Amino acid sequence: MSMLQIETDPAGMDPTAVPVAPERGMVGRSPGRLAWERLRRNRTAMVSGWIMLFLVVLGVSAPLVELLYGIGPYEQFQDRIANNSLPLGYLGGISGDHWFGLEPKLGRDIFIRLVYGLRTSLLIATSAAVITTAIGIVLGIVAGYLGGWIDAVISWVIDFALALPFLIFALAVMPTVTARFYGPRDEIDVPFRIAVMILLFAMFGWTGTARLVRGQVISLREREFVEAARASGAGLGHILFRQLLPNLWAPILVTFSLAVPGYITGEAALSFLGIGIVEPTPDFGVMISNSLDYMDGDPMYLIIPGFVIFLLVLTFNLFGDGLRDALDPKSSR
Amino acid sequence: MRTRAALAAGGALALVVGLSACTENTDGNSGIDPNRQSSGVIATDPKDSLGPAPEVPGAVKGGTLTILRETKISHLDPQRIYNFVGLNTAPLFARFLTTWKDDGKGKVTLVGDLAETPGVNVNNDCKVWEFKIKSGVKFEDGSPITSKEIAYGIARSFNPDLAGGPTYIQEWLADTAAFDTKWDFKANKTSLPPGLTTPDDKTLRFEFAKPHCDLPFAASLPSTAPLPPAKDTGVDLDAAPFASGPYKLTKNTAGVELVFEKNEHWDPATDPVRHQYPDKFVWQFGPDATAQTDRIITDGADAATLGWNGVATSRVAKVSADGTLKGRTLLEPTPSANRLTINTQRVTDLTVRQALNYAIDREGLIKTLGGDYVASPMTTLMPPSTLGFKSFDVYPAGKNGDIEKAKATLAGKTPELVLVISDDSGDQEIGTQLKNNLEKAGFKITVRTTPSDSKLDETKKKNNQWDLYLDSWAADWPSGAAILPVLFDGRNIKPEGNSNTSFINNDAINAEFDRVLGMDPAKQADEWAKIDERIMKELAPAVPLYADVAFYIHGTKVGGLYIDSIFGYPAFTRAFVKQ
Repeated sequence: MSMLQIETDPAGMDPTAVPVAPERGMVGRSPGRLAWERLRRNRTAMVSGWIMLFLVVLGVSAPLVELLYGIGPYEQFQDRIANNSLPLGYLGGISGDHWFGLEPKLGRDIFIRLVYGLRTSLLIATSAAVITTAIGIVLGIVAGYLGGWIDAVISWVIDFALALPFLIFALAVMPTVTARFYGPRDEIDVPFRIAVMILLFAMFGWTGTARLVRGQVISLREREFVEAARASGAGLGHILFRQLLPNLWAPILVTFSLAVPGYITGEAALSFLGIGIVEPTPDFGVMISNSLDYMDGDPMYLIIPGFVIFLLVLTFNLFGDGLRDALDPKSSR
Repeated sequence: MRTRAALAAGGALALVVGLSACTENTDGNSGIDPNRQSSGVIATDPKDSLGPAPEVPGAVKGGTLTILRETKISHLDPQRIYNFVGLNTAPLFARFLTTWKDDGKGKVTLVGDLAETPGVNVNNDCKVWEFKIKSGVKFEDGSPITSKEIAYGIARSFNPDLAGGPTYIQEWLADTAAFDTKWDFKANKTSLPPGLTTPDDKTLRFEFAKPHCDLPFAASLPSTAPLPPAKDTGVDLDAAPFASGPYKLTKNTAGVELVFEKNEHWDPATDPVRHQYPDKFVWQFGPDATAQTDRIITDGADAATLGWNGVATSRVAKVSADGTLKGRTLLEPTPSANRLTINTQRVTDLTVRQALNYAIDREGLIKTLGGDYVASPMTTLMPPSTLGFKSFDVYPAGKNGDIEKAKATLAGKTPELVLVISDDSGDQEIGTQLKNNLEKAGFKITVRTTPSDSKLDETKKKNNQWDLYLDSWAADWPSGAAILPVLFDGRNIKPEGNSNTSFINNDAINAEFDRVLGMDPAKQADEWAKIDERIMKELAPAVPLYADVAFYIHGTKVGGLYIDSIFGYPAFTRAFVKQ
């Protein structure tokens, strides 16, 4: 927001509200409400937010969509697949029955697999983001406030986690863990794979948030309100979580909203490499990895899942940016 | 400005979508004959083994033919060659005891190469074989090839340092699988292995303890290539083989390039199959199948080029649909036969194994593999390219399988079976396909993935934990003798490294193998087809699935290439470069 705007629109007040109650003068607004007003005026953020919400709702209600659409994610329509293993007809088999066409070879419906793929992606990404943020907040706040040897140890662990190559670690861990928990005749359960992936993200993903929170806490801990709390005999827990934490929500919310799209692409990348979600579970990474062979023969198979994951990540990122601008209007772009 | 950029982006997307929309994908047909049958004989008339080979229509001399391959050829030492690329490159620079005359369409004749005939069965008991060596055959330095050099070539294949090649002849001579301990090559370099003698310069004699009627076939593998003892450089021969064929290796940049140039001491009058049309054959290593296909489609600088890795999966639809490329592609069924092996140690109920055979949807499976340019359906254990092949289907169920018949065969049982597949993405799709297919018939299938590099070794273990796995077999010569006893003779079951991955051991079938193996090779062909049918009917140890299809593309200037009927890969004996 520019200075000009602030002068013409004092305190960011809604212009329509001014004539209704002019005599009330100054209206008290919480910082949260101010941020919400700023966010609402950001058109990009709002449009992104609505698309994001739509995709999330679509993903969460996947079984309902299946019920309405009438086709399941594992159903095969091989009678609609030609001898050359590509779908019959135009645009990769797009028709009234199959809105986004069919997968080559197996002949499964792309639309319903995308909806279920959304669910898989969002489940993994949001769980991973929640867990990493939680770990990051606790460790960051403790390290920043207590300092000393605790800070040194936690910072050392952060440096250690940052130095470990994530992909190589993931490549090594996945087969080892599955071999440890499953016998040679057992199928590896999908929830187990999802849990291992979330765990992997949690092990590596918390460092960013922890560093950010630690830095913020260091700048806050000598402030008067903290000293006042300490002087009046508040316990450590009270100071950490009742005094410091509420002042940190803004940056945490922003890192969280930017972490989710990161994990969506991260999950797709792991599945692309064959160490995340595998056949036959619907997933973006697997779909894109499979579709690369069809750039020539059936480009729609690549374009559709590619576009959806692009849209998902873009809207999450744009919304996250909008959120940051709203919560922290001083940061210039 | 922003709207204009958005419009441009939208327009570009619409264009991409529009371009792909221009073509309707229809249910075409590759035109491949899934039951193309091989007919073959062992030449009895010595004239068949005489050179020169008949001229190829339109062939001209000169030029350089380039072959692209993703990885280097692992062995060039004829005694160590055993992979397909080596087997089809070897005829350029090496000659063997016997070889195949091949029309590229399944009509093959086994003829003498260095030998005047494809072997003489001296006592008609397949225990003593004699080969008379042709006159006028020479090495690349002009020295004559005699039976002594051929015998030395066979002797050096006993050297464990030179492992990798086929082991048939060594095992037959030594009468044991541990041939390298029975006769130590390094301690006896000046003598010959037991049973191998050279009565004179023109005669090579094999004496076996047991009858081995397949010797003329086994002698067609590159391990019978000759080598003078003085030229034996041991493991270094892999980098610089000593040529006896129409070309010699003149440049070998390890892992990058091989250059073969004409060998002037090769006499076409002695050779029944090879030609010497191009001045050079150049192998270049590096580009993957997609890069190869794209370069060759573009033609231009790659007009005289063949892509050894075949038409890339991602380009099959494009190449098969483009009529202008039709004249530059090679499309033939191959002898590589794929089956769904049933572990009979675990699945002991015959009706379950029969129900699997009724339930299988071969058309769906082939679509999952990539369509009819990749695979062609098969209902027998031996591929159609086998000599004496008869098409039959013991469990007729149509191309999509007969679910009702399978259910009736199961009679209410719901067997729980574990299918193991490798963890690469193509295999996982096949796992999904088979699971969905078989579960319709009432099976409960668990798909278990295992790392692809160890899958083969694990399934070859006698006491493996799995019920179903995919197996493939490409025989070394198109006879049932190189297929059925190898895959289904239960007396050879070992703790590890089995080819009999169904682990069947049936005395009646084993006795049949012995009976037919003792017959004249020319008369065996029909018998193998009968045993094939009998194994399927009485034991059902596997579900025959499909034979691989070879689909290759070459530049506009390449002529005379064909897919050989023995291995199913491009062959160079008649190749030429159009000027």
